[in-house]
Amino acid sequence: MSLELQLLLLGWGTLVGLDLVSVPQMMIARPLVAGSIAGAMLGDVWTGLELGVLFELFQYDVLPQGASRYPEYGPATVGAVAAAHAAQGTLGLGLGAVVGLITGMAGGMSMHVVRGLTTRAVRRASAALDAGDPRVLVRLHAAAILRDAVRAALVTALGLALAQLARAYLPGAITVRSVVLLNVAAVGAALAAGTAGTLRLVGRGAPLRWFAVGVLGGAVVAWLR
Amino acid sequence: MSAPPRARPALGVSLLRLFTVQGSWNYERMQGVGMGVAEEALLRDLKGGEDDSAYRAALARGAYFFNAHPYLCGLAVGAAARAEHDGVPPDQIERLRTALCGPLGSLGDRLVWAGWLPLMSAVALIGVALGLGLSATLGFLVVYNVGHVALRWWALRAGWTHGARVAVALRQPFVQGAAARSGPAMALVVGAALPLVAHHLSGGFVGWSRVLLTVVGAGGLALLWWLRGRLTGLRFGLALLAVAALAGWLWP
Repeated sequence: MSLELQLLLLGWGTLVGLDLVSVPQMMIARPLVAGSIAGAMLGDVWTGLELGVLFELFQYDVLPQGASRYPEYGPATVGAVAAAHAAQGTLGLGLGAVVGLITGMAGGMSMHVVRGLTTRAVRRASAALDAGDPRVLVRLHAAAILRDAVRAALVTALGLALAQLARAYLPGAITVRSVVLLNVAAVGAALAAGTAGTLRLVGRGAPLRWFAVGVLGGAVVAWLR
Repeated sequence: MSAPPRARPALGVSLLRLFTVQGSWNYERMQGVGMGVAEEALLRDLKGGEDDSAYRAALARGAYFFNAHPYLCGLAVGAAARAEHDGVPPDQIERLRTALCGPLGSLGDRLVWAGWLPLMSAVALIGVALGLGLSATLGFLVVYNVGHVALRWWALRAGWTHGARVAVALRQPFVQGAAARSGPAMALVVGAALPLVAHHLSGGFVGWSRVLLTVVGAGGLALLWWLRGRLTGLRFGLALLAVAALAGWLWP
C-alpha cells in the first residue's frame, strides 16, 4: 500500500474518530460508513462493506451514554479494512477482526485519557469560566477538539500499523484451517454481540414482540433468497 | 415575548456551534463548556457598551455543568439564552438548566440512541445484505442526517421560542408519539436485519465451519446474555479470536 493511500486512510480515520463524540456526530463514525468509505479509498468496496457490517454488529453492543466507557469502532474499522484488503477473500474477515478489535479497545482507552486531560484543563480555567470570559471559553473548547483530533489520528495510526504487521507476518504463517477458524470466531462473535446488544436495547414487553416478528420476517426473506 | 432583533442569524451560529457541543466533554462540567460556546452566540445582545457584566454573568451560567443528549442540548441553550434576555432571575435559570438534564437525556436516548440510529443502521444493513452495496451506506448517511439536523434545529428553535416555559415543547404530542413509536420500530427492523446479515456473512462458510458458526453464535449469545454487565462484545470477540488462533495452531 502506497504512502499516499496510508495518509488518506489516516485522514479518514481521524475524521471518523472526531465524529464519534466531538464534531459533528453525523455518524461517519459508524463502522458501516467508516469501513465502506475506507474500502472505496482502497478500491475494494466489497471488503470495506464486509468489515463494516461485521463491526456494525459489534457496535450494537455499545450504548454511548455520558461518562460510560466503550470501545471505539470507527477508526478500528478503517484499520481492519486496511488489514483485510491485502489478504483478500478468505483471510480478510478474521484478520480484520483481530486488528479492529485491538484498535477498538485502544480507542476506548484513549478517549478516557483525553477526557482526563480536558478535565484538568477545565479545572485550571475554572476561575476565568466562572467570570464569563468568552476568549478562555472558546480557546478551551477548540483546544479540546484539537486534542481529540490528535487522539483519533493516533488510534487510526495504531490500526494501520497493526494492519501492516498482520499483512506482513500472518498470511504465510497460518494454515487454511486457522483462517477458517478465525473467520468463524469473528462472524460468530459479531452476531452474538449484535444480538445480545439489541436484546438489551429492546427490553421486554411490546418491543420484544416486535423484535420477534422482525426476526421471523428476516429469516423468511433470508431463506427465500 | 418578542425575540431580540439579531435572533435569526445568531440562532444559525448557535446551531453550527451545537454540532461541536461535546468537543470539550470532561468529567467536571461534562457538556458545560460546549453549551457555553453555543449559547454565547445568543447572548451577544446582552453586551451593553462598556458594561458587559450581564453578558459575562450569563455566559458563566451557560458554561456550568450540563449533561443531556447532544442532539437536544439546543433546547436548553435556546431556553436559557431566551430566559437571560427576558430578565428571568439567575437562580431560576440555573434551576431550569439543571431540570432539563434528565428529561433531555432520557428523551434523546429513547428517540435517537435506542430509536432512530439503530433503526436507520439496520435499514442500511438490510440494504447491504440484499446487495445494494455502497448506496445503502450513502442512503443511511443522508436519511439519518435529515432527521439528525431537523431534531437539532427543532430543539434550538423550541428552546428559544418558549424560554423558561420550555417544558411545553417537550409535552408536544409529536415528541411523545415519536418517543413511544421509535422503540418498537427499531426492534422490528433490527430484528429483521439480524437473520439477513447472518445469512449474508455466513455465505462463505460450508460444511463443518457452518455448523461451528451456528454453535459459536448461539453459545456466544447465551454467554453474553448470562454475563451481561460483566462480559462485553469486545472482550468476547477478542477471547474467541484467541481461542480460534490457538485451535488453529494445535490442529494445523
